Order: sequence, then C-alpha cells, then structure tokens
Amino acid sequence: MNRDEILELAAGYALGALDTEDRARFEALLDAGDAEARAALRDFEATVRDVVAETAEVPAPAVKAALMARIDGESRSRAEVTQILSAPRAAAPRRSLWTIALVGAIAAGIAAIAVGLVVSTVYDRRIDQLGQQQVELQQELARQQELVAILQDPATRTVALAGLPAAPSARGRMLWHAKAGGLLVAQGLPPAPPGKAYEVWAISGKEAPVPAGVFTVDARGVGSIRVAPVAGGAEPDTFAVTLEPAGGVPAPTGSMYLVGKL
Amino acid sequence: MSSVSVPPSDVSAGLLARIAQGDREAFGRFYDAFAGLALGLIRRILRDPAAAEEVLQEVFWQIWREAARYDPRRGSPEAWLIVRAKTRAIDRLRAMRRREKTFVAPVDEAVASAPDLPAENPGVTAERRELAHAVLHGLPESQRRVVELAFFEGLTQSEIARRLGEPLGTVKTRARLGLERLRSMMKREGDIQP
Repeated sequence: MNRDEILELAAGYALGALDTEDRARFEALLDAGDAEARAALRDFEATVRDVVAETAEVPAPAVKAALMARIDGESRSRAEVTQILSAPRAAAPRRSLWTIALVGAIAAGIAAIAVGLVVSTVYDRRIDQLGQQQVELQQELARQQELVAILQDPATRTVALAGLPAAPSARGRMLWHAKAGGLLVAQGLPPAPPGKAYEVWAISGKEAPVPAGVFTVDARGVGSIRVAPVAGGAEPDTFAVTLEPAGGVPAPTGSMYLVGKL
Repeated sequence: MSSVSVPPSDVSAGLLARIAQGDREAFGRFYDAFAGLALGLIRRILRDPAAAEEVLQEVFWQIWREAARYDPRRGSPEAWLIVRAKTRAIDRLRAMRRREKTFVAPVDEAVASAPDLPAENPGVTAERRELAHAVLHGLPESQRRVVELAFFEGLTQSEIARRLGEPLGTVKTRARLGLERLRSMMKREGDIQP
C-alpha cells in the first residue's frame, strides 16, 4: 500500500466515513502496528478534534448528575459484567471479527443472564424478608388490638400477684376477662434455671389448678404471657405461678413464686 | 486554538482503562474533560438542545458500559468518543426525520416545549459556531462538501460519491486534502492565538 493510499484511508477513518471494506483494511494496518498509518491517523484525528473543539459547549450539570446516579444504581452488577466480557478477550487477543462478535454476543448473553439472576435473587430475598416482616407486624398488631380491646372492656379486672418466699420482691399483674382471657406481666422473678420455666395456673375454688401457659423472664426478671380463657370450667378466682420443667406440666410440682386472688 | 483543554491521549487512555474496571471517579474526570467537546458536536448535528443533552447522556452511558472495548491501536480516546457522539447524534437525527415523515403534524411535543438552554452565554456560543463555520468555509467548496457529508451527515465515502455524482477515488482524495488543509488552518490559528 503506498503512502497516498494510507493517507486517504487515515483521513476517511478519522472522519468515520470509510466503507466497510476500506475500514477493515485500515484497521488491519493499525492492528499490525504500521507506523505510517498510525502517525497519519493521529494527525487527522487531532485535526478533527480541534475543529470539533471550536464548538464545545458546557452541558447542564443535570446531565452529569443523571449519569452518576445511573452508575450508582448499576454499580453492583457492573463488576460481573466487566469480568465476564473481558475474560475471553484477555485470553486470546487476536481473533477473527466473527469470532470476537460471536464470543462477545455469547458473553453479553451470559452476562445478561448472570446479572438477571443476581438481580432477581437479590429481589426475591428482599421480597421474602419484606413478606416475613409484614406477617410479624400483622401478628404484633393483632396482639396489640386484642390487648386494647381487653383494656377497654368494663368487664376486665385486674389481679395483683404478690411474691412468695421463693422470690419475695417479685410482683405480677393479671388483666383478666372471663371470655377473652388475660395478660400476665411479671417482674422481679429470678431467671429460670436451664430446663425450667414459669408456669401459670388458673384456680377455681377447691378444684385442681388448670395449666394456663409457660413463660420465661429476661435478664431484668421481666416476663409476660397471654393467657387463654378457661374453657368450660368455672370462673377462676386465683392465679399462681410456679417453677416447672420447661415444657410445662399438667399439675403443679415446683415451688410457687407468685399468687393473687380476683 | 481549541476552546477546551484536552488532556494528553495517554492520560485519557488511562482513564478509560480505569472506567473499564468500574472506576466512577475516572468516569467523572473523563466526562469533565470531554463532555463539552461531545455536546458541541452533537448540537452541530441535532440543533435541538434538549435532544442533544439526551444524546450526550446516552453517549457517555455507552462509554461507561463499553470502555473495555477501547483499543489504543485504533486511535485516540477522544476520537473514539467523537465517533460515538457523531454516530448517536446522526441516529437520533434520522429517527426524528423518519418521525417527521410519518406524522402529518410533525411537532415533537417534547422538542416544542423544551425551553432553550439557559446557555452559558448565547453570544459566545453563537460566536464559536461562527468560528467553526468559518473554519470549514475556509475549505474549497468541493472539499467542504465531502467533509460535511462525512462528518455531520454520517455518510460513507461511497454514499458521498453517489450523492455528489463523483467517482469514489475523487471523494477519497478530497477528504484527505480537506483534512490536510484544515490541519494547516488550525495550526495557523493556533499560532496567532497561542
């Protein structure tokens, strides 16, 4: 290829106006490291740049801000895309255009699928978390509403429970409604030893105590339990708390910690 | 003399290499160095300021996504950017023209309602446009037509030959002579206004 031809190709290339065949020829020269082709191109490119620079305009700051925001939104998946796209190129730099195009297309496809999977997995997990949170919040809300309803009902009574010799400073309070059941809050109880828990008893006159639930206390000695109404039996007049095996037992076996009468 | 200061190619190439690794800060610097250059070119092709800034954003988004494809053997980073800006702007122009042909009332509401840029200083901008205009008009008509059709209309050399009814070889020679003449004109201008 003579010098004139190289200069013509370089000019057309710098203007972005070469036809496909000429462009391939000139790029082959560049890729082969042809010094003359490179020098000519550098020269013409600088000229084009200088002409373009004459009309340079300052863009509105919003353009850059929008781009940066878009980048931040995409940044997590970006690293993977780059990795996947660049890996095959680094391994074999000299390939035919078709191979590069094919590898590029496959890599882009893989990258798109990978990004899609990552994104969908992340979102699936997030949706699961949010669903779980919503269920918990609904349960908590239902408990609160139930408690408020019990408190508002004139038939609700309050029972104070006093500490017994096992824990003289312990105190308890039972909000009790015959049909809705009640809520027991205890404080000042020693933490239950391993394998043990506090069990609530509803007692009606001389009848055997009815188990009404098991609870533990936190480090401050505070614990609470929602107590179901006593099914079928007579209205309880006494509530008591004993220390029992963790799963609870059908009849009291351990020391009594709290007791109170309606 | 250039209206913008362009960093040396190896610095820009270094920025592109970092952008390819997802370096946000490098991208910011590359944008700051070249966005003005690209926007001027895009507006030379599109004219509509709102559409031009949209295209500018698309071009730099493409840079962000495809920086790894930049091959320094095939030209400078700014040339790589300029070609992308030109191609995108011409694509948009062609799409707008197609739409104008398709619709009876070719009023693009977005374009019509878009306020003109509260540009830096309209007087200065107009002056620069005149300057670029003057530079190109310093070329003989036959060379200027080839350069303009190639650069601002996105035609290939054989398309230009058909458009002008000239042999392909003539078009190729005029493109080269045109650029050589522009080069010496820019140098002279640089000498006068260092």
